[in-house]
Amino acid sequence: MAALGGSAAAIAGEAGQLKASVKTTAHTNYRVHEMQLPSGTVLREFADAQGTVFAVAWSGPAIPNLRQALGQYFDVYANATRTKHSGRSHLEIRQDALVVQSSGHMRAFRGRAYLPRALPPETSLDELR
Amino acid sequence: MINPRRTYWGGLALTGLMVLGSCGGGDAPGGSSTGATNVDAASNVVAVVVDAGPTATATNSAVNTLYTTVTLCVPGSTTQCQTIDHIQVDTGSSGLRVLAQALTLSLPLTLASNGDNLLECTQFADGYSWGPVATADLQVSGETASQLPIQVIGDSAFAAVPLDCTGSGQTAEDTVATFGANGILGISTFEQDCGTTCATNPANGFYYSCTTNGYCVGIEAPVTSQVLNPVPLFATDNNGTIISLPAVSSPGAVTVTGSLIFGIDTETNNASGTQTLLTVDPVYGYFTTVFAGQSLSDSFLDSGSNGIFFNDGSITQCTSFTGFYCPAATQSLSATLMGQNGVSTTASFSVGNAETLTNDNPTFAAIPALAGTYSADDQAFDWGLPFFFGRRVATVIENHSTAVGTGPYFAF
Repeated sequence: MAALGGSAAAIAGEAGQLKASVKTTAHTNYRVHEMQLPSGTVLREFADAQGTVFAVAWSGPAIPNLRQALGQYFDVYANATRTKHSGRSHLEIRQDALVVQSSGHMRAFRGRAYLPRALPPETSLDELR
Repeated sequence: MINPRRTYWGGLALTGLMVLGSCGGGDAPGGSSTGATNVDAASNVVAVVVDAGPTATATNSAVNTLYTTVTLCVPGSTTQCQTIDHIQVDTGSSGLRVLAQALTLSLPLTLASNGDNLLECTQFADGYSWGPVATADLQVSGETASQLPIQVIGDSAFAAVPLDCTGSGQTAEDTVATFGANGILGISTFEQDCGTTCATNPANGFYYSCTTNGYCVGIEAPVTSQVLNPVPLFATDNNGTIISLPAVSSPGAVTVTGSLIFGIDTETNNASGTQTLLTVDPVYGYFTTVFAGQSLSDSFLDSGSNGIFFNDGSITQCTSFTGFYCPAATQSLSATLMGQNGVSTTASFSVGNAETLTNDNPTFAAIPALAGTYSADDQAFDWGLPFFFGRRVATVIENHSTAVGTGPYFAF
């Protein structure tokens, strides 16, 4: 299963399981595998030159199953301490090894998770969307 | 025009208002009342309050969260009714959701098309709320929405939550404490919470059918079965809402009281006047905000967001309050809000130090300068509850018209 920290080689199998279509685009230091999920949400996986997924980003009417998208990092995310007063519409988990940002409201969610230590060189956070 | 249904329910509505009086908390500190909104006199007005929430403790209380009180009845009954306070007022979602923990009524459950119970996984950016769809008669002020599909969150009879649902958020928000409210009244520009996507696609992520032994599958939910914005179901005053709140001076206030007014141009107290009218796109409810030279097309008004959320790399972020801004001195900023109709207006807002503001004022439920990043979307600008302070904000629902326009639009 392709997930954060996992191998992008599993993406084809994942897409089949999710009944999603995959579109791949190459960038200087990474590839983006974009899947249209059955819910209508677009999930993008960012894989480095070795094929390791270092970021995932989503946008659309539903939040994807993050247990799948975050893989081994889901438990870190699920157990992370929340910011006081963070409210219903915004969530940010910021740890040395994992950042998760989720925002939005019904019909229009966006979010991303990335591994700050695993970003390929010259990769801007602005590109991880 | 007098609506017979409202007259019929008059006694019960009065009961609701009396309860409101005890939780409203008196005059708004730090500001004056806006407009002539007399809660007790008008049948289309219900009091709203910003306070510390239903389960406030010294270390965990609500900030910039707007609440009201509603009455639910078993459909068709005038005696099996319950008045529930601390229902969050949310222009960012549609539909009424009540925590099972706060509900004493036994409401009829909605069945899915396959005959099993219809359940919903309501997604919020920070968590999920799971529970069955049920039917109730809603009374709020003098308005009634009969046979309203609502969601009951955290019903112990449906404790098994599908993995696709638990995977969609960080935590379950299925108790009054974790939800921060006894329920939520979604009065966005949309008529349904999900819409046609959920009516045609079984893998929509929201609606499931579940057998009595807890086996759940995703399922289509016809738009009439979905959890609905209740306002269009009112006999009159059904084209939208107005949230009217007093200005709150810096650094904040312990409580703020205001009004939620139903209908636009339907009564003497809800005329459009000369407000700025910003139409929004029909799919996401977005308009455009021009801020710091950038045109941000994913902008929205959301009373359910507890701050102003936008990206500005020049403002210092907090160290402990991750995602909020913590400038050394409060910054006074402005931005231009522009509708799809090309109409624009400028709004000023303040960005204070979130840590200092909340730590120095632990009793404040209203903090107008609370702001943070919207880091997952560089095209977004979320005008949360601080925007509503000192304004009278109309939310007009899709497919509904007022004297001055057709929804979806906001006006203020």
